[in-house]
Amino acid sequence: MKTVIINYKNIYYPPGGILIWIIIFLELITFSAALLAMAYYGNQELELFHNSSLKLNKTFGMLNTIFLLTSGFFMAISVAELKKSDKEKFKKYLILTLFFGILFLGLKSFEYYEKIIDGFGISYNIFFTFYWMLTLFHVIHVIVGLVILTSVYIGIRKENSNTSLEDVEASAGFWHMCDLIWLLLFPVIYLLF
Amino acid sequence: MKLNTTITWTLLIVLTIASALVSKMDSTYVVLIILLFSSVKFLGIAFQFMELKKAHVFWKGMIIGFLMIFVSTLLLILG
Repeated sequence: MKTVIINYKNIYYPPGGILIWIIIFLELITFSAALLAMAYYGNQELELFHNSSLKLNKTFGMLNTIFLLTSGFFMAISVAELKKSDKEKFKKYLILTLFFGILFLGLKSFEYYEKIIDGFGISYNIFFTFYWMLTLFHVIHVIVGLVILTSVYIGIRKENSNTSLEDVEASAGFWHMCDLIWLLLFPVIYLLF
Repeated sequence: MKLNTTITWTLLIVLTIASALVSKMDSTYVVLIILLFSSVKFLGIAFQFMELKKAHVFWKGMIIGFLMIFVSTLLLILG
């Protein structure tokens, strides 16, 4: 594995690289704009949003938050282990990162299944339109993140791996971005109304 | 590093459970408390897990600025 010493204090080299941070800010702005639109409509129709919010399973939302945060925790530790050149521990923690990410997707799928069975589809009302659009868009990011991390895992297993620490940090940055987006979604969709 | 990360993770889990419990309370400050907890969690991830604490002040300012604009606009909309 190639290791390069990076000075993070340089404005052009934030941890993970400048490109991933541009993506992170663009994603955060996009999701926050949609969430603010949701809050605006929620303020217009308080009762509808309150009653619809009661139909969501807050325990599932909380558990999913815990899964994602735990996944992010293992991701941070795995990157730290890689910086110490301990590839075995890096791989072990990366597997745990993937495991909790998959748990998130599993519980989310079950939640979606329940909503569909109960008839709360995307066109049920405006609250559920926002719910489906925002959470599905987030789920797509989680799936992309899992694919990226799996490719990092496969790459790092090779004897003469050309995966650099910066590649791993950028992948970790994308994965943590999923946490950040969820931390904006969870309170607005599940708790505020 | 590992100790700080573990402490941050514990705090994040505690705040997540606390947010869910607070949301069931009947108080005018519920929205404020939930958003405060979420903001702390957001910054915990950005600064500790994403290691933004090691980055140039520009990136720290950007993430804090984004969060302040989002939360204050949300509070403004929700009244």
